[in-house]
Amino acid sequence: MITVALAKGALLKDSVRCLAAAGLDFAALLDSDNRQLMVPSPCGTARALLVRNADVPVYVAYGQAQLGIVGEDVLREHQLPVAPLVDLGFGGCRMAVAVKASSGYRRAADLPAHCRVASKFVRCAETFFNQLDLPVELIHLTGSVELGPITGMSEAIVDLVATGRTLRDNGLVAIEDLFHSTARLIGHPLALRLDQGQLQTIIDRVAAARVEAR
Amino acid sequence: MALQPAAGARDLNPVQVGGNRRLRERLAEVYRLWGYEEVAPPSVERLDTLQAGGGIADQDVVRLAAEEPLGLRPEFTASIARAASTRMASRPRPLRLWAEGPTFRAFMGDAGGQRISEQLQSGVELLGVSTAAADVELIRLLLACTETIGLEPCHEPQLLVGHHGLLSALLQRLPDQHRTACRRALTGFDPLALAAIPLEQAEQAQLQALLRLRGAPARVLMELEQHLGASPLLTELATTLELVRPAAERLGVQLQLDPSFQPHFDLYDGIVLKLVCRGAAAPVDVASGGRYDALVGRFCTDAALAAGVGFAFSIEDIRELLSGNAGSKDTGRLVERPLLVAYGQPDGLAAALERLGGLHAQGRAAELHPEPIGSQREAEAVAFSRDSQGLEWLG
Repeated sequence: MITVALAKGALLKDSVRCLAAAGLDFAALLDSDNRQLMVPSPCGTARALLVRNADVPVYVAYGQAQLGIVGEDVLREHQLPVAPLVDLGFGGCRMAVAVKASSGYRRAADLPAHCRVASKFVRCAETFFNQLDLPVELIHLTGSVELGPITGMSEAIVDLVATGRTLRDNGLVAIEDLFHSTARLIGHPLALRLDQGQLQTIIDRVAAARVEAR
Repeated sequence: MALQPAAGARDLNPVQVGGNRRLRERLAEVYRLWGYEEVAPPSVERLDTLQAGGGIADQDVVRLAAEEPLGLRPEFTASIARAASTRMASRPRPLRLWAEGPTFRAFMGDAGGQRISEQLQSGVELLGVSTAAADVELIRLLLACTETIGLEPCHEPQLLVGHHGLLSALLQRLPDQHRTACRRALTGFDPLALAAIPLEQAEQAQLQALLRLRGAPARVLMELEQHLGASPLLTELATTLELVRPAAERLGVQLQLDPSFQPHFDLYDGIVLKLVCRGAAAPVDVASGGRYDALVGRFCTDAALAAGVGFAFSIEDIRELLSGNAGSKDTGRLVERPLLVAYGQPDGLAAALERLGGLHAQGRAAELHPEPIGSQREAEAVAFSRDSQGLEWLG
């Protein structure tokens, strides 16, 4: 039985579509009445685990799921030993530094040394500011990070930006991108090395569907 | 005061300790049959020894707060290679040694802090043989061990085999500046990182194919020969795997040759091995090892003796695998409980100790109830509550 970890939320619909191309039907997860967290595929060869975004690579790294679909932002932030297999192209967003529109900062290097930066993605932020050689005080928040600059707790935030609307509605503006992120099909490295072809078939079908979609 | 052990440290109950001991004894019996002698390498070593010349990353070692740079051993190989090349340098080769005990690894927790993982290991080192005969002996010994520890067909044991030299030969044709990145992408199973390396289209396609190349040794070796042509390394590897194939087949261990496989620790420069079983929910890494000639060479002046191979079993992972789950059924009780010796008279302690001694002299496990008990019925209730094998009531 192959287990696939899928992220609740924005990526779920495309993840289910993508696996359907590989012959795994997890459409039951999209049913608004569904409350099950572990759903078998009708073919009986696979099951899906419905987990939070950041938990997808955890289930894969521990081998409870052989495959998973998650954003690259999560992989970069959590740095778990998983194998990134296919860039699925959907779920596009950018990790960006944002400040108050009225602040006058135009790029990340304009921020004053030792200023506060709030983020859910402190590891990504730390790597970025280390590369800039700009010492900052990182504040870890778990959501609504836009409030950091609004309340004056931080000069800037590092967060995912999809359309930019949340930033605009809160009087913030993105000034520099850290990277562009899309969804990735990931795998458990040891399970992939022990694979007798079952996993590779799914991976190849997902990759082929991705190429066709282009 | 904290009531829990430090995170990652082991705190085992009698059933778990008993299970570990049985596995260790069974493995030790096999090691002795094959002519291996027990050594006890230190738990604490100098960091430069532990890091094995860059083979083990700094962040993997648990450092000690001491005047000189010291750490807890993350594995045995480096310590045994040092001892074999110094205190045991005059002993004739091949030198066959085995060791068991706890090892400690550090890793970065998700919250950013250092975490420690303590693992009980048992393994062998065969030093001073630079030919593939040592590789064959090592794999045959590993297979013999799988029989004695009680792996069954339902565990679907698979022996992953790779070779450092094979991977180097495959990467040899690539531009020098890309080899490290290609090796990292291949061993890290990262086709996306591989695709991002600016290589010629044919080279890129070849590496992507290499990342997918694994399976039964005969087929993989045939494909490798198409990439590399006939080479002594391929012939040697084919001979090694052919010599271990009958034992593997007899024991139901599937051989999986995987040219891009490398274990977590970068100690090895020849054949590399990992024995993996199917656990209840995830693959279980049962044993790892390989050839580490360069590591021995760091400690030894005679280049002819700079050769070593070894493996180590993860005892607790095997115990949990064989118990069917992660020890959740363990109650903390010994499987075979002793007899309970109890007495009723206030001055009965001397007689009870005498009786206890008599039972021990007969080789029977017995324990003392230290206070007098009012009646035999009450003593029986105590024996029942303690899961005792029986009651010796002295009235």
